[in-house]
Amino acid sequence: MIFVAVGTQFSFNRLIQYMDEWVITDGNTNKEKVIAQVSDGNYQAQNIETHSFMDGEQYNSHIREASVFVSHAGMGNIISARELQTPIIVINRQHKLGEHRNDHQLDGLKWMGKLDGVYTASTQEELFEHLNNIKQLKTANTNVVGSKQLTNFLADFISTGKR
Amino acid sequence: MSKKQKVLAIASPGGHWIQLNKICNPLEDRFAVVYVTPGAQYSSKNEGSRRVLNITDASATSKSKLIPLAFQLLWILIKERPTAIISTGAAPGAIAFLLAKFLPIKTIWVDSIANTAEISRSGRMVKNHADLVVTQWKSLSDGKNIVYHGSIL
Repeated sequence: MIFVAVGTQFSFNRLIQYMDEWVITDGNTNKEKVIAQVSDGNYQAQNIETHSFMDGEQYNSHIREASVFVSHAGMGNIISARELQTPIIVINRQHKLGEHRNDHQLDGLKWMGKLDGVYTASTQEELFEHLNNIKQLKTANTNVVGSKQLTNFLADFISTGKR
Repeated sequence: MSKKQKVLAIASPGGHWIQLNKICNPLEDRFAVVYVTPGAQYSSKNEGSRRVLNITDASATSKSKLIPLAFQLLWILIKERPTAIISTGAAPGAIAFLLAKFLPIKTIWVDSIANTAEISRSGRMVKNHADLVVTQWKSLSDGKNIVYHGSIL
């Protein structure tokens, strides 16, 4: 199963359409089923299962069970994919297509692409290329998210007021 | 001190909220952390004993809701009397920081890891009011007003 999620803030019809098209191509060699969280998107998918929203448990269990997680370039999903040890492909929303307030998700692809277990796509072609090579996609090297250094620094600041 | 100091952790839903949890959950050993977020209903039921307070969902693009949100936050600050507030963004955290300026509460802004080129808009808004501003990118630290002490990824 491939899980797709676009976040809670906006729809992302373009990504849902890409997935709806990809799932019936020959590139889908494993005949993977696609389940998508589409927010309030109005694209009528023909070949994939769509839900507007889902609760946290269901959402996380889909990420955990998926062979790959396809997501808008949101950092929350990158964190979840790392913790649940599923490779993630992120595709950026485009401001000029009205998909977000600005183009920060495009900037995001640059640093996100350097993280292990994270694959980036800014076009349909790039997305399909990753999906066609699904077996090559790797999970993050660790499921740990967080920084002891940062936590300790904050804790000491709260207790003592000193930096 | 026998009683743990209280810390209020505030964020908007989505990535800000997930990051806030990664930063604040480990603080629970030392502090009584109370979480504040719009759409607490979307947060996981596996929160266990965590206290999560719900607030109105407002952002810089839904200005009419900012006023009721400010009253909710003020009420929470007065009722909970935290030692410190931590926020990763966006609007709810920024408003809480402006309110806390008039109260004896330390304010700590941890800018989202998504902001790689400059501090977020809400971060810039609170920069001169916060007691501490932390970036998760070394390149954005000026070593003085904006500090870097590692990142969650």
